Amino acid sequence: MKVKIKSWHAIAQWRWDTGNADHDEGDGEGDVCGICRVPYEGCCPTCKVPGDDCPLIWGECSHVFHMHCLLKWIGTPASKQQCPMDRRTWVTAERKVPSQASKESEVSA
Amino acid sequence: MALAHTRRLNKELAEIHAGTPVGINLVNADTFEKWLFTIEVMGTSEYEAKKFLLMFRFDNTYPISAPAVQFVVDDTHKAPVHPHVYSNGHICASILGREGWSPVLTVIAVCITIQSMLASCKKKEPPLDNDRYVPRAPENPKKVSISLMVSPLLA
Repeated sequence: MKVKIKSWHAIAQWRWDTGNADHDEGDGEGDVCGICRVPYEGCCPTCKVPGDDCPLIWGECSHVFHMHCLLKWIGTPASKQQCPMDRRTWVTAERKVPSQASKESEVSA
Repeated sequence: MALAHTRRLNKELAEIHAGTPVGINLVNADTFEKWLFTIEVMGTSEYEAKKFLLMFRFDNTYPISAPAVQFVVDDTHKAPVHPHVYSNGHICASILGREGWSPVLTVIAVCITIQSMLASCKKKEPPLDNDRYVPRAPENPKKVSISLMVSPLLA
C-alpha cells in the first residue's frame, strides 16, 4: 500500500522545567504562580503571551514565580526583599537547565 | 478589560464557591471592590454562637498589597470585643499590615487567621488604646498612619 501525505500539522507542547517533574497535582492545571494564581505555563496578568517573554524566576529557597509577579512584589518596600512563601531574603537562583547528557538519555528512554 | 486583581479574585471566588472552611461563609461578592463574609468561631470559645461580619476591600494593587479588612459595625452588627479588634471594627493583625502581608496569602487565609485569632482569645477586652485610636482612625484601616498604629501589645 502506498500512502501519500497531502498535508500535516505538527502539535507541540511545552512546559517550564521547574525541577519538579510531576508538578501536575491532578487538577490538570499544573502548578500555579503563588502570586497571580495563573499556571506557570500561562503568563503574568500584565503579559498577553506566555513563553520566553514572561519567564519564571527561581529563588535559592526553591520557590518559583512568574518573574514579573515576583519583581512587582520585590519592588515594594513592604516586601523587604523577601520571598512571599517563606520570607527569607530573596536570592535569585541560577536557572536549572538539565545537562545535555540527561536530556539525551530521556529521549532514548 | 480584566484587571490583574480581578483575575486573581475571580480564581479565589471560584475556590470559595467550591467550599469554605467551617464557620466562614461568603455573604456577598457582587463586585471586585468589596466582599463580605460571616465569621463564626466553632466549638467553645469566648465568642460562642456569635456571628461577625467581615468586610474586605480591594484595590488594583491586590495581591501585591494587602486588602483592607475590618469587621462591619452598624445598627445590626458589632465588632467582637477582642484585644486586637477596635470598637470601630479595625483589626490589628500582622498579616494585614505593612510587615506581615504576602501576595501568596488569600482572602480565605485572612479569614482563617482572624477566626483563629478570635478562637484563641482568653479574655474579652478591647485594645488598651481603643479610646485613643477610634476617634482618630480614618474610615479605611489601610489608611491608618504609622503613628496611630501603636500595637495594642505595646500600648
